[in-house]
Amino acid sequence: MNKMMKPSLDPVTFEVLKNSFISSVDQMAERMLRTCYSFVIYNRDFSNGLHDSDGNSVAQGNQDIAVHVGTLHFTCKDVIRAFEGNMLPGDVYAINDPYAGGTHFSDVRLIRPIFDEDHLIGFSQSNGHWSDLGGSVPGSFDVAAREMFREGMRITPVRLFHGGRFCADVANMIAANTRDPQSIIGDIHSQAQATQAAEGDLLRLVKKYGRSQVMQGMQEVQDYVERAVRRRIAALPDGSWETVDYIDRDPAGGEGMIPIRIRMTIKGDGIHYDFTGSHPTIGSIYNSAPGATFSAVVAGMKTFFPDLPLNSGFYRMIEVTAPRNSVVSAEWPVAVTGFLMPFEKIMNAIFEMWSKIMPERAIACAFNLEYLLAGGRDARKEDKPIFMFYEWLPGGWGGRNGKDGADVTTAAFGTGLMSQPNEGNERVNPTHTVEFQILRDSAGPGKWRGGTGVQKTSVLLKSENAVMSYICDRERAVVWGVEGGLPSMPHGLSIKRSGSDEEIWLGSVFSDYPVQTGDQFARPTAGGGGFGDPLERDPAKVVADVIDDYVSIERAALDYGVVIRAIDPDLCQYEIDTDATEARRAEIRAKRKDWARMDPEEVSRLYKAGELGKLDVLRRHAVILDWETGEVLAKTTAQFRESFEKRTVAHWG
Amino acid sequence: MKKTRVAVDVGGTFTDICIMDEDSGAIRIEKTSSTPDDPMVAILNGVEQGGIDLSEVSMFSHGTTVATNALITRRLPRTAMVCTEGFRDVVEIRRANKEDLWDTYKDVAKPYIPRRDRLTVRERIDAEGAVIEALNEDDARRVAEVLRKRDAKSIAVCFMNSYVNGANERRMREILKEAMPDVPVSISSEVMPEIFEHERFSTTMANAVCAPVVVDYVSRLSEKLAAAGYERDLLLLHTGGGVMTPGSVKDFSARLAGSGIAAGAIASRFIGNLCGYPNSIGFDMGGTSTDVSLVFNGEPRITKDWYIEYGYPIRFPSIEVLTIGAGGGSLAWRDEGGSLRNGPQSAGAYPGPACYKNGNTTATNTDANVVLGRLGTSLAGGKITLDPTLAEAAVRETVAKPFGMSLHEAAEAIVAVANANMANAVRLLSISRGYDPRDFALIAFGGAGALHGAAVAKELSIPTVIVPPNPGVTSALGCLLVDIQHDFSESFMASAAATDPGSIEEAFLRIEKNAVERLAHEGVSEAEMILQRSVEMMYQGQWRSLAVAAPARIDRVSDLIEAFHAEHEREYNFRRDEAPVSIFRIAVKAIGTVPKAAIPEYKAIPYRPDPQSRRKVWFDGKAHDACIYQREDLVAGAELSGPAIVEQFDSTTVIPAGMSAVVDKFMNILIRVKG
Repeated sequence: MNKMMKPSLDPVTFEVLKNSFISSVDQMAERMLRTCYSFVIYNRDFSNGLHDSDGNSVAQGNQDIAVHVGTLHFTCKDVIRAFEGNMLPGDVYAINDPYAGGTHFSDVRLIRPIFDEDHLIGFSQSNGHWSDLGGSVPGSFDVAAREMFREGMRITPVRLFHGGRFCADVANMIAANTRDPQSIIGDIHSQAQATQAAEGDLLRLVKKYGRSQVMQGMQEVQDYVERAVRRRIAALPDGSWETVDYIDRDPAGGEGMIPIRIRMTIKGDGIHYDFTGSHPTIGSIYNSAPGATFSAVVAGMKTFFPDLPLNSGFYRMIEVTAPRNSVVSAEWPVAVTGFLMPFEKIMNAIFEMWSKIMPERAIACAFNLEYLLAGGRDARKEDKPIFMFYEWLPGGWGGRNGKDGADVTTAAFGTGLMSQPNEGNERVNPTHTVEFQILRDSAGPGKWRGGTGVQKTSVLLKSENAVMSYICDRERAVVWGVEGGLPSMPHGLSIKRSGSDEEIWLGSVFSDYPVQTGDQFARPTAGGGGFGDPLERDPAKVVADVIDDYVSIERAALDYGVVIRAIDPDLCQYEIDTDATEARRAEIRAKRKDWARMDPEEVSRLYKAGELGKLDVLRRHAVILDWETGEVLAKTTAQFRESFEKRTVAHWG
Repeated sequence: MKKTRVAVDVGGTFTDICIMDEDSGAIRIEKTSSTPDDPMVAILNGVEQGGIDLSEVSMFSHGTTVATNALITRRLPRTAMVCTEGFRDVVEIRRANKEDLWDTYKDVAKPYIPRRDRLTVRERIDAEGAVIEALNEDDARRVAEVLRKRDAKSIAVCFMNSYVNGANERRMREILKEAMPDVPVSISSEVMPEIFEHERFSTTMANAVCAPVVVDYVSRLSEKLAAAGYERDLLLLHTGGGVMTPGSVKDFSARLAGSGIAAGAIASRFIGNLCGYPNSIGFDMGGTSTDVSLVFNGEPRITKDWYIEYGYPIRFPSIEVLTIGAGGGSLAWRDEGGSLRNGPQSAGAYPGPACYKNGNTTATNTDANVVLGRLGTSLAGGKITLDPTLAEAAVRETVAKPFGMSLHEAAEAIVAVANANMANAVRLLSISRGYDPRDFALIAFGGAGALHGAAVAKELSIPTVIVPPNPGVTSALGCLLVDIQHDFSESFMASAAATDPGSIEEAFLRIEKNAVERLAHEGVSEAEMILQRSVEMMYQGQWRSLAVAAPARIDRVSDLIEAFHAEHEREYNFRRDEAPVSIFRIAVKAIGTVPKAAIPEYKAIPYRPDPQSRRKVWFDGKAHDACIYQREDLVAGAELSGPAIVEQFDSTTVIPAGMSAVVDKFMNILIRVKG
């Protein structure tokens, strides 16, 4: 704005205001965490922001979930558009509109205008993932939705408090359209209180420093961040980088992965992300509206500037171009609840491009999030209450330059998100957990291997009318390695029906699948992609992984060419056969390029004959099959191999 | 009659010994260099140096860093974990979150027990406590044999749902004990019988890895003290704010983790209560960090969300202490965006601030205080001299020049930023928890607490600052003033309105039976026992509970519900009378009171002391001619007007311009904060 008008604040006032703004949003987080009802909020799917009087972000919470960054100012500005000139102290508004810069319906933002006397000085915003917003399935994630009308309730800006008075009529109408009205009202109070905490804090600063200094401080902290980012960008050479990552498929289309293409250009102190060439919107909920796409870009980039605070100063130096109605720029009424799928593809693509610019922070692909939603009647209890089992699992992150990937960590879209305790699950839902443990051989092999994934297997206990939906991806666009590293493993849920021993592959995306008492379902999560040539991995590290059972003896030989013999597992004693290792590594080195280019139909035949395992098909031959039938997915394999050649084969000496 | 009490607080640099004469209440302090390799050596040195006759000692209490250091340095004996099949990775998966959300190169540390040493057996209890599968004894014997071969020094047994039924865990322990009778075994259903497997397993893991280290240390120290004539039990300070005897340490060793931090908070509670301030904020500022704690209505705030290393909660109730990276040695710097920052990087003990003459040239808070004249150039009774020219050069180069300020402006700017950061930390513990700082007194201690206390209090509108007589050794005083204390809890999950008061009463009586046994085991007579009940509740559907005190006999649940509504409103500013309330957990704090010796009281006759000297001290951009006093010259009743500086061996108190102070009958300096 008109930042030229005033001399800048003295350094002490500036630093104090800057830290106080951040501390006020941290106080909001603290409140919310302690009073929330939504278990999703409790597990840290929320964010809080302080805004200037134009709606720009001044500060965002230190521990906020990644997936909300860079979107709070959009929703604040939309509220201003709706209520400008008509706002009162003590008002609170709600909005969850993804087509106005929000993320998805579940993320409901409460926004409070802050007045000093009758002068609007800013806004506080509290954004939390509610447990349900109606729609056709519990939890409001209907994979089969193609338009928003079956997804849930769209809240364009509405008033929930009017001059301090609770608008019970509006709140009750919203709550009445969800499966959990009591909790929704609780979360409204919890979030409204959080915004009030920030209001009190801001007014305290006004009292001490005066309105004009505080308002000036809100501008200057944005300038400060912008200055810092621009300085770092300017120090980098100009250039252009591009890459492509994929969503598995369009359920409404034929076989073939859905490309998200990004070209990043650095020029002077500016940066531009161009999504030209990305696929049009698809017939599922895996589309992203522009606000969420912008957020993914910010989150990907912030990973390479972890020390810089987030506010509009960061956001305004990033330019994003995306073709209209593409999978990264969906418009009303295209379904976008599953925007996290494109979100994580964008993040990983940005990881890949920045890894070239900052090799000291380089990282291979991280696993993709997965959500399981099951609902029905809990027949363990006499009154057979409705149950809603809604859970996400951690997995592995990509191998790094000089360091293995992080094991069992929350998905990239929100590293603060906590996984849920099984003992809590078992109390609340008719499920029995059979295992929840690290999945052997789940990590993508590399000189620096990916982090490990997990497997959770559960049995459905006494229940009625239960259905299950699964929201996941990278069953085909499998988590990739870089710099010669290998992919990890395909995602996908399998089920053993009650009384049967046959494993049925259901894959990574399905909806409303009927399940019965006694059904057992297993959910593996992928490890991270490998970094660097696995044949260059120190054999001592491979043995250590075998001792800890992260890697099997068989795959140590197949993926790393390291031949290991067990001496006394009771005492953790294993031995490397040095000669055999050398020979095995030489053999792999000689043959692996041919393996990676072998006729996919031949690979499919060997797989069906039981001569090749899934991991060999993938890691050795770079072929993507329909994992249920073993048939080749020709277009998908061609796309996968194109990337594999660039990211992996090209780096093998 | 034995007449002496001794309390020892082991710090990183010094081991402080506080010796109290029970008759007169007089306290003297011995300071000796710490011996990190074996902290016991410093203690015994101190006892000798202080000429303490241990046969005359009635109570020897000790705040130890042994458990904390073992966890931080991970110098841990080989410890194993036995888990339910399918669940060996609970402590490795944790809640899967990260401390640093954005830095992909910063990882959460691996669990204290590596995967190879986490073995499994077949067994299973369901959520209601029914045994679905009894412990498979072949598996159990096989695991015991492997662990014997591996020479495990300690074992944690962590089974699913054992918080409702510990039978399988107990049987597992029996089998382990048959194979390895001398190896300590921690079972999760006894260490922390609460729902949520990671939190319970993690606490049990910490307990198991600490056990051999702590038991070894405590038994060696007990033996040495006994050999020198001490006849009672050694008392060990735990994070809950009480002490326990070696007999309990063996089973709950991880309660000692963080013991040192608790000592300061306990001392500040004592001082606050003594001076008539049941609401106080402890402000313990040292060289590299500041610990903030809060006491409300005479009781410290307790948290169960606590850890030594991120990701590995230790769920024993602990005094809530917020530590921030701001201390005397914190560095001032200009960042790339052009902002003046303060900390968290620190010049540490070495090289220390620029004025310490050890080669550091970046300005620290200490340097700024020297430039402003607030800190004299001779510390520790002349043992350390500071070089003001080096302090000036550092402030000039680091801050004055880059920001275009004068030397004194720059020094004030450094201190102002540090004070504001510390005030924000206090806000997070007070205002954001629903407490109004104006109802509190600030207890300023630690090496630098009294230097910054008045300014921080002013920033927060706290009306009174209390500087205890020996600010630098206040933590040792904390060890002297404690009762035996144990905390018991049980999951109790029910809708409050539908709960029969009799069933809560029954559960309390069961816990209390246990509590009384434990206290009796520690030699506490029934007359000295106090049992405090609390119930943790939440609005049905919420995820965090709030504790409210419960009466010694539960007649009506409605009273508990009303107390919960009130507490929710105090803490979070809203209540929902229409919403159903659920009970989550019940807890009992079992106290064995230790008779307290009286702190000596002096008669306070108001007088104006003569300053020992005067020097120029800067406040608000102006040089003032300030009075300088020596603390030992001041007696009760002394009245001081700011600007004034009070110097003593281990600390310097600043009374800023416009404020005044008195020395009270307990020899504390009370600063009346103004402005």
